[in-house]
Order: sequence, then C-alpha cells, then structure tokens
Amino acid sequence: MIPETTYNTLQELIKTSTMEEIIWINGYLNGLVSGAVHAKLPDATGNGHLKINGSLVNGNGHLPNGNALPVAVKKMTIAYGTETGNSKKLALQFSASAKKEKLSVKCVALEQYRLEDLDREDHFFLIISTHGEGEPPETAKKFIQHIEGYRGRLDKVQFSVLALGDSSYPLYCKTGEDVDQRLFDLGAKRVVPLVKCDVDFEEAAAGWYRAIASHVSNAGNVNNVGNPEVLGQALANPAVSGQVVGSSQESLAIAAVPKKSGKKNYEGRITKTINLNDRGSLKETYHIEIVTDEALDYEPGDSIAIIPSNNEDLVNHIINKAGADANEVITSGKYTGTVKELLLNKLNICHLLTSTVKKYADLSGYQFAEKRMDLVDLLRLYPLKNNVVFVQVLGILNPIAPRLYSVSSAVTAGDHEVHITVSRHKFQTEDEEKFGLCSSFLGDLPVNSKVIFYIHRNRSFKLPSSEKDIIMVGPGTGIAPFRSFLVERDLKGDLGRNWLFFGEQHFQSDFLYQTEIQQYLQTGVLHKVSLAFSRDQQEKIYVQHRMLEQGDELYKWLTNGAVFYVAGTKDPMSIDVEKTLLRIIAKHGQKTEEEAIAFLDQMKKEERYHKDVY
Amino acid sequence: MPDPHKLSPVERIKTASDGLRGTLKESLTDDITGAIKEDDQSVIKFHGMYQQDDRDRRQERSEKKLEWLYSFMIRLRLPGGFITAEQWKGLHHIAGEHSTGVIKITTRQTIQLHGIIKSDIKPTLKSFDTFHLDSIAACGDVNRNVTCSAHPKQSKVHEEVFAYADQISTMALPRTRAFYEIWLDKEPLTNKEEEKDPLYENRYLPRKFKIAIAIPPNNDVDVLSNDCGLIAIIENDKLIGFNITAGGGLGTTHGNSSTYPRLGTMLGFCEAGEKTLKVVYEIITVQRDFGNRSDRKLSRLKYTIDNMGIEAFKKEVESRCGFAFETPRPYAFTERKDYFGWNVNHEGKWYYTVFVESGRITDNENGSLKTALYEIALTGKANFRFTCNQNIIVSDIQDRDRDEISGLLEKHGVIATTSGSSAMRKNSIACVAFNTCPLALAEAQRYLPTLITKIEPLLARHELSDDEISIRMTGCPNGCGRPTLAEIGLIGTAYGKYNLHLGGDRNGLRLNVKYKENLEEADILRELDVLLGSYSKEREIGESFGDYTSRKKIVQHV
Ligand code: SRM
Ligand SMILES: Cc1cc2nc3c(=O)[nH]c(=O)nc-3n(C[C@H](O)[C@H](O)[C@H](O)COP(=O)(O)OP(=O)(O)OC[C@H]3O[C@@H](n4cnc5c(N)ncnc54)[C@H](O)[C@@H]3O)c2cc1C
Ligand SMILES: Cc1cc2nc3c(=O)[nH]c(=O)nc-3n(C[C@H](O)[C@H](O)[C@H](O)COP(=O)(O)O)c2cc1C
Ligand code: SF4
Repeated sequence: MIPETTYNTLQELIKTSTMEEIIWINGYLNGLVSGAVHAKLPDATGNGHLKINGSLVNGNGHLPNGNALPVAVKKMTIAYGTETGNSKKLALQFSASAKKEKLSVKCVALEQYRLEDLDREDHFFLIISTHGEGEPPETAKKFIQHIEGYRGRLDKVQFSVLALGDSSYPLYCKTGEDVDQRLFDLGAKRVVPLVKCDVDFEEAAAGWYRAIASHVSNAGNVNNVGNPEVLGQALANPAVSGQVVGSSQESLAIAAVPKKSGKKNYEGRITKTINLNDRGSLKETYHIEIVTDEALDYEPGDSIAIIPSNNEDLVNHIINKAGADANEVITSGKYTGTVKELLLNKLNICHLLTSTVKKYADLSGYQFAEKRMDLVDLLRLYPLKNNVVFVQVLGILNPIAPRLYSVSSAVTAGDHEVHITVSRHKFQTEDEEKFGLCSSFLGDLPVNSKVIFYIHRNRSFKLPSSEKDIIMVGPGTGIAPFRSFLVERDLKGDLGRNWLFFGEQHFQSDFLYQTEIQQYLQTGVLHKVSLAFSRDQQEKIYVQHRMLEQGDELYKWLTNGAVFYVAGTKDPMSIDVEKTLLRIIAKHGQKTEEEAIAFLDQMKKEERYHKDVY
Repeated sequence: MPDPHKLSPVERIKTASDGLRGTLKESLTDDITGAIKEDDQSVIKFHGMYQQDDRDRRQERSEKKLEWLYSFMIRLRLPGGFITAEQWKGLHHIAGEHSTGVIKITTRQTIQLHGIIKSDIKPTLKSFDTFHLDSIAACGDVNRNVTCSAHPKQSKVHEEVFAYADQISTMALPRTRAFYEIWLDKEPLTNKEEEKDPLYENRYLPRKFKIAIAIPPNNDVDVLSNDCGLIAIIENDKLIGFNITAGGGLGTTHGNSSTYPRLGTMLGFCEAGEKTLKVVYEIITVQRDFGNRSDRKLSRLKYTIDNMGIEAFKKEVESRCGFAFETPRPYAFTERKDYFGWNVNHEGKWYYTVFVESGRITDNENGSLKTALYEIALTGKANFRFTCNQNIIVSDIQDRDRDEISGLLEKHGVIATTSGSSAMRKNSIACVAFNTCPLALAEAQRYLPTLITKIEPLLARHELSDDEISIRMTGCPNGCGRPTLAEIGLIGTAYGKYNLHLGGDRNGLRLNVKYKENLEEADILRELDVLLGSYSKEREIGESFGDYTSRKKIVQHV
C-alpha cells in the first residue's frame, strides 16, 4: 500500500538504526497511531494491507498494534504439554509458521515454563494432550498444579487451548478441557475457543493455529478479541472439519468431527502367540505376531492401540441376570447394535469410572458410596427397580478404552506385520486376584483371530542418528520397543553402540527373547547386556542396581553423547531408574544434586532422555 | 579315519587350559547364558562336572525363544563309595537346595546330582567342601573314581583292601590347584612349580581311565570292565597282593566296527604295598604315552593294548616298574551281587543293603528312602557305602543300634521295597539316559522299571520268579550300565528301540553278543517269552540263563 520509494526509505532507516533506535521509533509510531503523538498520519484506505518485509499484516484500516515492525512488541507464547510428542510436534510447527509470519513467538515445553511468567503473558496458547485415564501428561503436572492452586488473576492474559486426545477414550480431551476452563475462571480471555482433536489431529490443529495467528495479527484491534466472526473465518477453512458446538464465548468449543479418512484402523490376523515365560514362572508374557493385508506405517518406538472385547461368559451372565434380550438393537452413545454386540465389543463393563457409577446411582435411585466397580457387581448389589430398564443402563456406559502395546518388531517399508509383547496383567482387588481385560483378551486369542488396531505414534521415543550410542533400560515388557530398535539398527547397519539393561524375576523362566538377545550380542549388534533377575538370589536385584554397578561406564557413555531410553512400568521402575541415573551422574561426574538435575535437563533438551512407560 | 598325527581338538584344550583352568571363571560370570563356553565344557569335566540340558524341554524352550535348559551334573569322587553319617546329612541338604533333589547312585559307587544351574555350582562345591567331599577328577581324561568291593562281610581284610582305593585315587589325582581356586575361591598359587604334574604332565590322559578292586569270590565291581583291574589275593586272612588286569572297557559306537567291548587281560600277580601302587602308576603312564590322541573313539587303553600287543604292553609296564609281574595267583569269582538285607561282619557290625531301583534315591510311591537315609544319618549310628550295582549299604551299625535303624528303614517302606522286589528287578541296572544324558538314544532308567513289570508275569509263567537273571539297559552303546556284561542286555539304538544282547554269564566274566536289533517293547517281550520258556524247560541244573543261551548257541561268541 505504500509506494516502493517510501518502503525503501523505511528499509534504509531500519537498516541504519540500532535496536534501541528501532524500539524508540516503534514506540513513537505507536503513540502516533493511538493519538498520543501528534503527527500527520497516512490515509487509511479501506482494508488495505501493510506490507512489510514481504509479510502480510491484516491492517483492517489500522496499523496492528506493535506487530507491524520487524521487532514485534506483543508477544505470543506457544506452550505444550506432551507425553508422546504430538503436542510438541504441533507447537514447533506452529512456532515456525509464526516466525515466518513475523510474529514474535516463544515456544516452550510446559515443564520448562517459568510459572511466574504466566500473569505477564500477552498471548498464551497451549497445546496439551490427555493421558492415562483422563490425566495430564507427566510433563504438564507441575503447571496444572500451579494454575489449580493459583490465587491471583490472569485478567491481562489472552489464551486459547488446543486439546489433543483420542475419542476412543471415555474422558476425551479431559486435560485440555480442564485447563481451558481453569484459565477462563482465572480471568484470562479465551480469544479462540477450545479445539479438541482426535488422533487425526493435523487439520483441526491447523485450523486452530490459523485462528490464533490471525488473532495475534489483529491483536491491536480490541474488538477482535474473541469475535466469533473472525474465528468463524479462520476456522471455516474447508480443510478443518471443525464444528462450532457452542455459541456463547464461554462455551464456544470446536470439536473435530472425525472425517471420513478418520483414524486409520487396521485389521490384522494373529499368526502366532507364544508365551515367552517358561513353566513355573509367575509371569505370562505373550509374543504376538499380527499380519495385515494393508501395508503398515509405523516406526520403532510407536505403539499399537487395541480395543479388547469383554469376556463373553460375563456378558452372557449380565444379560441373563438382567433378563434382557441379547438381540435387541439399541443405541448407546455413538454405537448402535444388539445388546450382546455392544456389551461384548463396545461398552466398558469393568471397573466403571466413578462418574458412571454416579450415573447408575442416579438412575437406579440407590444411595451408596460412589467408588469404581464392575457392572456385574453394581447390578448384583443394587438391582434395577422402579421400571428402570437395562437398556437405560447401557446408555450410561462409556466405550471400552483402547490399550497400547509398544511395537516390538521393526518394519521396513511395505511390511505387513507387527509384533507386540503383552504381559498378562494381574492385580489384587479386595477379595481376589484378577486379570487385566485387554492383556488377557490378547493372550487368550487363538491363532487366526482377527484384531482391529490403530497405530499410536510416539514421536518422543525414536532412534537417534546412526552414529549415536544408545542405552536401553527395558525390564519386563519394556524390552518390546528395544527389540524393535535392535532389528532396525541391525537392518540399517547403524554405527552407534547399543547397551541393553533387562530384568525380570528369574533367569531360567523369564528371560524374554533370550536367544535373540544372545544372537545380537554374538553378532555385535548389542555391545553390552546387563541383566538383573530379581528373584534368583536372596536380595532383590533390579536394573537400577546393575546401572549403579556399571555407573562409571554408563556415565562415560552419556558424556560421549549416548541417548538414554527407559521403557516398561512407570512406577516404581522408571522412577527408580531416573533416580539412579541422577546418582550416577552426580557420583561419576562429581556433581552436586542440582548439577546432576541440570545435566539430565540438558539431556532432555538435547532429546537424549526418553521414556515409554506405563 | 582321523589323521593319526593330528591331535583331537580336546588335546589342544587340555594343554592350553593352564592347569585345567580354561576360561571357567569368565564362563561362570557370563550371565547371558546358563551354559559355559564350548572349550570350558571339556575342561569342567576334569572338575567332576558335565554341562547338560533337559532334553525333554528343548523344543518347547526353543519356541519360547529361551535357550535350552542348561544345568550341570556333579559327580563326587568317593573312592570305594564310602561316606559318613555327617557327610550324608550334608549331601542330603545340598541335593535339596541346589539340584533336582534326587541323589543318583552311579554304577561306579559314587553319586551324582543333576540339574545344578551355573550360579549354584560354586555354592554346591563349597558346601561339599565343608563336608570334606569333592568332585575332582570324577570325570575327564584322568583316573576316575576308584571302585572297590563294597561288602565288608566278604573278608577280614576288607578295610585293608579298601584303603587301596583311597591311596590309588590320591596317587592319580591331578596336581593342579585349579579346583580350589575356581570353585572354592582359594588364593592362586604363587609358585606354579608346586602344581607341576609328573603323571599327567600338561596333556593328561588320552581318555578316561578306570580302576576297580575286586575281592573274590564277589565280582560286584565288574573288575574286568576296567582299564585296570586289581583282584585281591588273600591267603590265610591276609592280603598278599593283587592279580592285575588291564584293557577292559565296554563302550562301542553304533556303526563303527573299529570299536568293541573288551574284558581286561590278566597281566600277572603283584605283591601288595608300594609295588602295587607302582604297577598301577606305570600302567597309567604307558597309556599316557602310547594312547591314541587323535581319535577319541579309539583312545581307551583297550585299543592301546591291542595296538601294541599284550606282550609289548606288559614289557613296557614292567620296564617302567623295574620289576616283572609274577604268575597270576588262583582266584575264583563265583558271584557278582549285592547281599540285600541284613548281614553281619567278622567284628559283629551290622549292614543293611538297600535295593535302590536304578540308583535313584528319592521319596516316591514306593517309600521314602531319601527321608529314611536322612533320619538314619541324623542318629549318627551308621555309615553309608554305595555299590557298583547302584545300591546303598547302611553300614557299620553296632549290635545295640540295629533295632533303631531297622525301625527307621521299616517306617519308610525301605525294607518292604528291598525284600518285596523281584529277583530280576534286584539284579537290574539302568543307566541315566534321558532326560539329562546328551548321548542317549533311548530311555533307560525311566523305562526299565516298567519293562521289568511286564517281564515279571513271563517269569512267573515260566516259574523263574526267583531266578537272579541279570538284566541291564542303557540308552546308547557307551555301556554305562555295563549291559554287555549282563545275561539280558538291552542297548538303545533309537527312541523306543533296543538291541537285545544274550549269552553273557552271571558273574561278569564273559561278554554277551547281539542277538536281535532294534526291538520295540512288544518284540522284546515276545523274544524273552520264548527264550525264558525254553530256558525254563531245557536248562541244566544250576545253569544260568546267560550260560544256557551261550551253550545253546542262541548267539555266537567270537
Ligand atoms: C552315571 C553313569 C551311569 C549310571 O547310571 O550309573 C554314567 C553316565 C554317563 N556316562 Fe558313563 N556312566 C557311568 C558308568 C560308565 C561305565 C560303567 C563302569 O565304568 O563301570 C561305562 C562302561 C565302561 C567303560 O568305561 O568302558 C561307561 C561308559 C561311558 C562312555 C563310553 C566310554 C568309552 O570309552 O567307550 C561314555 C561316552 C564317552 O566317554 O565319550 C560315557 C559317558 C557318560 C555321560 C557322562 C555322558 C556324557 O559323556 O555326557 C553320562 C552322564 C549321564 C547323566 O546324565 O548322568 N560313559 N560309563 C555311570 C557313572 C560312573 C561313575 O560314577 O563314574
Ligand atoms: C505407551 C504404552 C505402551 C505400553 N506397552 C505395553 C507393552 O509393550 N506390553 C504390555 O504388556 N503392556 C504395555 N502397556 C500397558 C497396556 O497398555 C495395558 O495397560 C496393560 O496391558 C493392562 O491392560 P489390561 O486391559 O490388561 O488391564 P485393565 O483391565 O485395564 O486393568 C488395569 C488396572 O485397572 C484396575 N482395574 C481393572 N479392573 C479392575 C477391577 N475389576 N477392580 C479393581 N481394579 C480394576 C487395576 O488397577 C488394574 O491394574 C503400555 C502402555 C502404554 C501407555
Ligand atoms: C496411555 C494413553 C492414555 C490416553 N488416555 C487418553 C484419554 O483418557 N483421553 C483422551 O482423550 N486421549 C487419551 N489418549 C490419547 C492421547 O491424548 C493422544 O494420543 C494424543 O495425540 C497424544 O499427544 P502427545 O503425544 O502430545 O502426548 C491417551 C493416550 C495414551 C498413550
Ligand atoms: S549308556 Fe549312553 S545313554 Fe546311558 S548314560 Fe551312558 S552315555 Fe548316556
């Protein structure tokens, strides 16, 4: 909109000015625009655009407040809370776009975020996923505690949340919802409504980004804050199958409706199931091989998600007790099918969430402590009365949640096979020992059974470049991703050294994939294997004890740039492993506790410390 | 045929082993496998152990991506097969703690424990050490456990003869201290000269070497199956010396006609004392220097002697000794048996010989032998002696303690089993074979008991139930149960298949001969039914089944 000569003059001025001078000029122009400084302004001509340095700034007849110049004054922060790297990937991608658009952006992981900065943010954008049973990612816990206990106000902050989740889980995008609500309650201005996205998040997320970017570009225009029209424009991009489900500013939320392409479900056939544990073992760990017709697209470090079926005897029992008609076709949530089919394959009947139990109490008219329970027990203890019919109960049930299993095979392009390593989960309830639903379901599936699964990418659990050394700590089923790593490194002929820590209860019966590991050691793919069999001697020995014994060597590997991975149970294993790692760093690096923590933080920053724990 | 000048691989392992140390220490700390390095598998034998695996579990473990179920068998060195009550208590607990729990009496008067995992070897040997028990040279290319007639009732000089087993065993022990260093964590020698070994040098023997001492008239040790046999010559209740035999050995290889079983050849008489020890020593050195070191199938002393010629061999021994053999003194073996039940010796001490089927001491549906022996050991009122027929003698019991011991044997069903078992069963031997023996082609100790149960009705039908026919079964032709010295020999050829050998005598003085090949159970029973039937009808007075089949030329002796 300005003549080229004027533009060149401006460029010349900028080039010859110091940073301080530019800031001064910026302030000056700012004042000029707001009327504090009296000077002659150029004519505002309609919706002309101010073109600076090749990037477009939506002028709307005004100069955007402070964003018009190379040094932006209004800042935006894109923070992310991630477990498996999706949120991070998006945050980095959006920050890069923002930079290209000459927006001033800071991209930060929530665990690195300085909490005292929060009330000083201009624009705070958060990308956060949900894990566990509707829980925040590990790395976001501190932040969430902080805002939950926050006493002040965030009136000056403008925000928006992008929630990542998986609609197969009952508590879909719960963490995103909670954070969104909390920030709003603290007085922050929701400038773009919450966007929830499913595992095929790319497009919905891109729509959200366009909305926030456009908001920031227009930030000078106070009227634009939360203006549904602007949002509508940004989100109405055909690429986004977003749906505005609310219209008031408070509840405006956009749910990404699964598109036709949806999340990619694969149908596979089990070709082999081997219990890797020998007779006499207390464990049952199944190596399961699944073959698909379609080519699979996963990488070592990814998992597959499987939705188990309920136990058929139990389902029949429930239907009989309830006197229901197994073949009656009903609808519950997004599912329609016969009572039997829904109970068997779609609806969760085990260990119901307290929210579901509460719904049952409301429905059935009983008063009792709302604690998690199996459906069969609820029906037994509090039988339906007052004309409440069983199908109504089906209406309150959540879908069966998917379970993830780390891929234990490596795929070279075009492969049609995936392996997983499933440990039959045993746990003690008040009165009996029980088996986990999905792990038992998988362990018991006969060969040739069909399984439906989708791939869950774990972007933060990937092999490094060829020459890097890696240390893998994977006791129990933690071995799974490392089996996949080793196949891959072997196939690719990676140059880095590989050190495996494995542990289980007994050498003789529980050394998962023993002959394969021996072979890797013989052929030089594995350079070191350290083993801990906890119950082969009086005192319990775990992987962390072996790490400690090898502390000197381990620290040498780390200072040499090795990437450290831990996989398997979260608590207590991965916690003990981390503590031990810190001890080793402190001891062999002659560091204080704080320095050791800083060392580990640095490793995290350099993407040299990864966890795949559950 | 291997090049006679090229040493067999085991020879290199021996000489390179640094006094039988090999890389055992490394192998032991390698926790990725339950096995030890291949070379160490040869070395560890000299320490009395074999690496084995549970052959029943191979396939299943492989499918589970687990290595084979490796474990170790430990064979004790027990010259003459004697152990005290105190030692028995130790043995009982060690077996319970580290092995399958079964205490297996071998055909050479000692015991084996199976199923000891690698990390338990050291604790096991250390425990044994506290009871003054070891396994040095119980296996390997050295002199093995020296056997000796087990039955003290045989003669007043039994103890004196018995002492030779110990002396010979000690004389022929390797000098290396490796056993103490590796297994018992003793300090390494500073002066290696101390373990310089004039007998074995650094090459040891070309092959295993076995010595037995028999006290006529009982040939319970099967003296002629040994590389070197000593037959005690007793005159007027005094031991005057030994008739010495050499070149016994029973092992053959299916399909290798250069291998054969052979009975020891009489060399002559040698007076008791230093001279006897010297003769034994020099027989070993001749085998050391003349034995075949390129083909392990042909390296036992029996082949060395047949290669040299008996006269040349004898001359060589005599010249090394510096004296000559005298003419053999007369002796006679009229039996080869264990005297089951109660017996008393010349001093009035009591002995109870227990029948232990296949030598397996355990508690089972036939009684709780293992517990019985343990409780007897707890009283401290008896010692224990093993026999070469895989049985045990509860021994040296004072007259006043006899009832107490008898009570314990009674209580645990031991007496019932011993007196209730049939004559054939009590005269049977089966080797270990499956599931631990890597060389087994067919079952033996797990199968012979049931086969005998099926033969017993045949014996009854032919009125032979009390006939002490000796029957021996092995899982392969190596001959661990000395099947070629039985009246009925069954030698495994493949799973469920056996060669039937006939014509051996009852006292271990004549080898049997193959009668039929590759018989399955039904064939065996059919053949035996016919043979026993005709024996029952046609035998001469006092004629044994072995002598009958031989006389009738049912088999042809060569
Ligand atoms: C335990 C025992 C059989 C039993 O049930 O009692 C036995 C068991 C084995 N014998 Fe034997 N032999 C046993 C007495 C014999 C005898 C009988 C005797 O010595 O009175 C013989 C025949 C006599 C002879 O030596 O000729 C015998 C001839 C063999 C042979 C063939 C040797 C040969 O030179 O022909 C082998 C194979 C070899 O050495 O290569 C062998 C090998 C073996 C091995 C160690 C298999 C191996 O080499 O890996 C067997 C271990 C099985 C296991 O799982 O325990 N065993 N072995 C006997 C242990 C005796 C001891 O305490 O030292
Ligand atoms: C990234 C990732 C990777 C994974 N990789 C693997 C892998 O490679 N191999 C593997 O084996 N596992 C893996 N897991 C774990 C796996 O996803 C499942 O969590 C595990 O198999 C247990 O599922 P389940 O259905 O058998 O047990 P569930 O039935 O889901 O039981 C889980 C827990 O719920 C509670 N519960 C359930 N029912 C009841 C009840 N009736 N009463 C009281 N409490 C109850 C118990 O606390 C129980 O411990 C991974 C998890 C994640 C997140
Ligand atoms: C163990 C596990 C549990 C999960 N639980 C939920 C859940 O309760 N609700 C939900 O909406 N999504 C859930 N998800 C899906 C994730 O939120 C989704 O995969 C997201 O893309 C992950 O983003 P991230 O990589 O940034 O962590 C779960 C994923 C995993 C691995
Ligand atoms: S005879 Fe053969 S099968 Fe039997 S123990 Fe000896 S080597 Fe093994």
